[in-house]
Amino acid sequence: MATLLAVTVFLPLIGALVLVLTPGLDKASSRRIALGASLATFGACLVLLAGFEPAVTTPQFAYGPDAGPYGLSWLSRPDVRFALGLDGLSIWLFVLTGVLMITAVLSSWESISDRAPMYYAFLLALETGLLGLFGALDVVLFYIFFEFTLIPLFFLIGLWGGPERQRASIYFFLYTLAGSLLTLLGVIALVVVHMQYSPDHRLTFSIPELTRGLATLPWPAWYQVDSWTSPQVFIFLLLLAGFAVKVPLFPFHTWLPLAHVEAPTAGSIVLAGVLLKVGSYGLIRFNMAMTPLGAAALFPLLATMAVVGIIYGALAALAQTDMKRLVAYSSVSHMGFIVLGMLAMNDTGMNGSIIQMVNHGLTTGALFACVGVLYDRYHTREMNAIGGIWNRFPLLAFFFVFSSMGAAALPGLNGFVGEFPILVGMFAESWVAASLATIGMILGAFYLLLMIRRVVFGPLVEPGSHDDHEGHGHEEPRPLGWYEIAALAPLAALILYIGLFPEPFFSRIRPAAADIVQIMNLERDANARAIAAKAPIAPEPIEASVSMRTLESR
Amino acid sequence: MTLQLAYQTVQQTLLVLSPEILLLAAALVMMTAAPFVRVSRSGWCGASAVALVASLLALLASRDVHPDAYAGSAVNDALSFYVRLFVILTGLVLLGLAHREPPEDRAAEFFGSFLMIQAGAMLVASSNDLILLFVGLELVSIPTYLLLYLSRRTATTQEAATKYFFLSIFASALLLYGLTFLYGLTGTTNLRALSVLTELPYVPHLSLGLLAVVFIMAGLCFRVAAVPLHFYAPDVYQASPVVIAALLSWIPKVVGFVAMIRALTSVLAFKGPQDELVHKTVLLCWIIALATMTLGNAVALLQSDLKRLFAYSSIAHAGYLMVGITAAFAGGSNASGFYYGTEAVLFYLAAYAFMTLGAFGIVLALRKADGHPVATIDELSGLGWSQPVVALGMTLCLLSLSGIPPLVGFFGKLQIFASAFAATTGDDARSLQLLAVLGVLNAAVGAFYYLRIIVLMYFKQPSEPVQVVGGWPVAAATGTCATLSIVTGLYSTPISRACREAAIAANVRPAADGEAASPAVALQTRVEAVSTAPTPTAE
Repeated sequence: MATLLAVTVFLPLIGALVLVLTPGLDKASSRRIALGASLATFGACLVLLAGFEPAVTTPQFAYGPDAGPYGLSWLSRPDVRFALGLDGLSIWLFVLTGVLMITAVLSSWESISDRAPMYYAFLLALETGLLGLFGALDVVLFYIFFEFTLIPLFFLIGLWGGPERQRASIYFFLYTLAGSLLTLLGVIALVVVHMQYSPDHRLTFSIPELTRGLATLPWPAWYQVDSWTSPQVFIFLLLLAGFAVKVPLFPFHTWLPLAHVEAPTAGSIVLAGVLLKVGSYGLIRFNMAMTPLGAAALFPLLATMAVVGIIYGALAALAQTDMKRLVAYSSVSHMGFIVLGMLAMNDTGMNGSIIQMVNHGLTTGALFACVGVLYDRYHTREMNAIGGIWNRFPLLAFFFVFSSMGAAALPGLNGFVGEFPILVGMFAESWVAASLATIGMILGAFYLLLMIRRVVFGPLVEPGSHDDHEGHGHEEPRPLGWYEIAALAPLAALILYIGLFPEPFFSRIRPAAADIVQIMNLERDANARAIAAKAPIAPEPIEASVSMRTLESR
Repeated sequence: MTLQLAYQTVQQTLLVLSPEILLLAAALVMMTAAPFVRVSRSGWCGASAVALVASLLALLASRDVHPDAYAGSAVNDALSFYVRLFVILTGLVLLGLAHREPPEDRAAEFFGSFLMIQAGAMLVASSNDLILLFVGLELVSIPTYLLLYLSRRTATTQEAATKYFFLSIFASALLLYGLTFLYGLTGTTNLRALSVLTELPYVPHLSLGLLAVVFIMAGLCFRVAAVPLHFYAPDVYQASPVVIAALLSWIPKVVGFVAMIRALTSVLAFKGPQDELVHKTVLLCWIIALATMTLGNAVALLQSDLKRLFAYSSIAHAGYLMVGITAAFAGGSNASGFYYGTEAVLFYLAAYAFMTLGAFGIVLALRKADGHPVATIDELSGLGWSQPVVALGMTLCLLSLSGIPPLVGFFGKLQIFASAFAATTGDDARSLQLLAVLGVLNAAVGAFYYLRIIVLMYFKQPSEPVQVVGGWPVAAATGTCATLSIVTGLYSTPISRACREAAIAANVRPAADGEAASPAVALQTRVEAVSTAPTPTAE
């Protein structure tokens, strides 16, 4: 299985190399190769999912013994390892990447004809980057995949994007790079702190080892968070820089609407569906699990950023007339929920946060795909110019409404399954933040329904039917192709499935979330003791039994 | 010292220096013979290549000769070996780039000067003596004046040569002044002996020692193009041919940083960061590093001339390297086993060689339709579609320069900033952490101007057709650099290991009687304790 995981990660890259190196590929054959590669990758993802043991908290499918060191030695000194493995936190995001990449390929089926082999090659290279970073068990390996995703996306936006594509791609690249370089320093700082203060001065880059080691560090200053320069706060802020840009947390969201609007449909799907999750995944994996006291100390600031993001994103979405822009701002709002959930620092919130990452990927991916279908036909995304598509494309209208409902957290669909635990978890921590976030939820329903009313219902309005200054005037828009249905149907099915039967998903997430929450509590205890006794004591090692508190409240 | 030991030391020193001696002999023969024999340009170029290969063989053959460290003026430790090896290999790359540069009638002098520069750079790496160090530095500078003017006798190259000449003389004087202080304070010119003496509490005297450090730093800052003696670089680069710009961006940099390691960090390493002099030196380097990278990156943003852009980019990279030097001073011999400052500097130098020589090679190979070389970045527009392979090589080098993984430039930056983080603990670490934060912000700014070239190459329509010239030597040299940028990024262990050995060797004091080694005890034990991988023991 360990080999299968490595193969899964690099399968798309092999597909990309085939696409680039085979001379004279045309559009039809290159898109078939891309679909084949992404389907094969997805198949491998499903095999991994089937073999995943829900109750195990250590990384699975990793080379090496169960207790580590995982992986194969890559750079011999310092010991950077090629270590891949999945746990409850990453397994669903891993599979989500596989699903959304098929949607991305299918939604570009007809719309991309310019330099098609390169387009699909970049898309597949991006998939390798994403799969790799969710699977990485080594911080350096994680960071390499993390930054590697920038390059394909930069070219995807810059070469196949909208009219402002160059500005959007540069802006996206530099903004993300600036943040992630600071994150690199944060990661280095974690490794250095672990090396300098752990009992045996071990230099390790392994994420599980660092998480364990940092939670039980015999260094009193590590558990004191009384100033901005306390180690945990300082490192937390460094790590936050990159992930906050990726998520994006308000006020670091300014690159997002531009990049989303200018990116090609597939770019938007992957960007919103998976790349934003990279930020929240990093926040849980590094910020929450390795510097929880920093998170606790900065809770007011972070919760404010998340809540402002939720409400601001919703209000901004309300003001948009461009559908893609609307969905982009709705992402800002929804990602705020995910951050809020992890900030609650309890099992309920953490579970909700992790499942909501998957949910948001599915609904937003589906929404962007719907908008893309409309754009292919009408060459506009203005809500004023399009209306009543129910009469023209009933099936598309169904998908549109369905995924909007999922995003608006209608009970029975997936959004509810994620947002409800997040709010419940947050109420336990801060009722103010939770109440304000609930307003964001209401606003969310408001702008999504408004978009549905304008675009889907009402009399049929099509651009060109009343003014034909554009060339394609009265031409009948083509009906939905099989590929478009194939792109949307699985997403809709999953939206419904998670909504109705969330337990298979939660059962895999719960142990991992409980593990992280336990580390948080452990360090908070150490902190409390340090404050109480002024002569701080090292915390006890983590016990083997993990809290398995379930979501009874649901 | 017995007569026998003296005789043995001289003999061994000469053996150790045989690669340099070979190169110098070849250069002298070429320059002397040139008026009398008729050999084509490619003949002289071939002869230089043969001389470089012979010198490489001599280097490998003399690997096991170790003259007495406190008597010999040359050492053959890992630092000396690996730097010289690397200089010879990049010398072959530079030769490939330069093979069509000089006019037929001055080819012998051109390649002769080039060999002398190579010999000088290698001499610096192997020197164990202040005087030999200075001779090596001058052996780099003086032929450079010739080289600047030899290849093309135009008003612009004249200007470049004059500017470089005066400033270089000035910098050499500063350096020599600093070295005399160092000698005056300790009474020895042997660097190993110096480093042993500095362990005494008041050696060197604080204010005079600081004077020495400041002057030596100033002189070497000119070589590496660091603030405040950086300002010649853009003018000289722009006015000289591309090959010379490539040479100037690489050889003086490696020479300058290796000289810093030999004459300053290794000497002061044993005092430890608590020492007042080291503390002030760290502060000095801190300021130089920050000023250099900030200025380089900020001004590079405004450039549209390719050579000027790369000049400022080379200033910015000197700034990152200075961060490593700062960490080397702060860490001293007690740095943690993560990355030593010296090690990071050496690795970054190697990475820098690949990416910057590759980029210069591509600029060199491109010609506009009228036969002129490309000069501004706009002329690269659309290159991605008209010359895909060349543009791919350029993209690799540029992404590596901006530090994107998995290219080698990323690992360079990782090591530099990691060494800054790991150098010290406690309150001393704060300032270095701040420097690292400012450094990565600089790297983010720096990514913009590299990215701008990539944007032009791929997202813009071609303005005018550009053709690739230069023949197989340029293609081979550039291709090697671009390929190595990615290959050593994916697997950097061999270079990393060599840098590690060199960094340890630079900070080791052999026992005075030359037998059983008693290396820097603190350093070695920490290494054993901390790193799991087997560490090479220094002799």
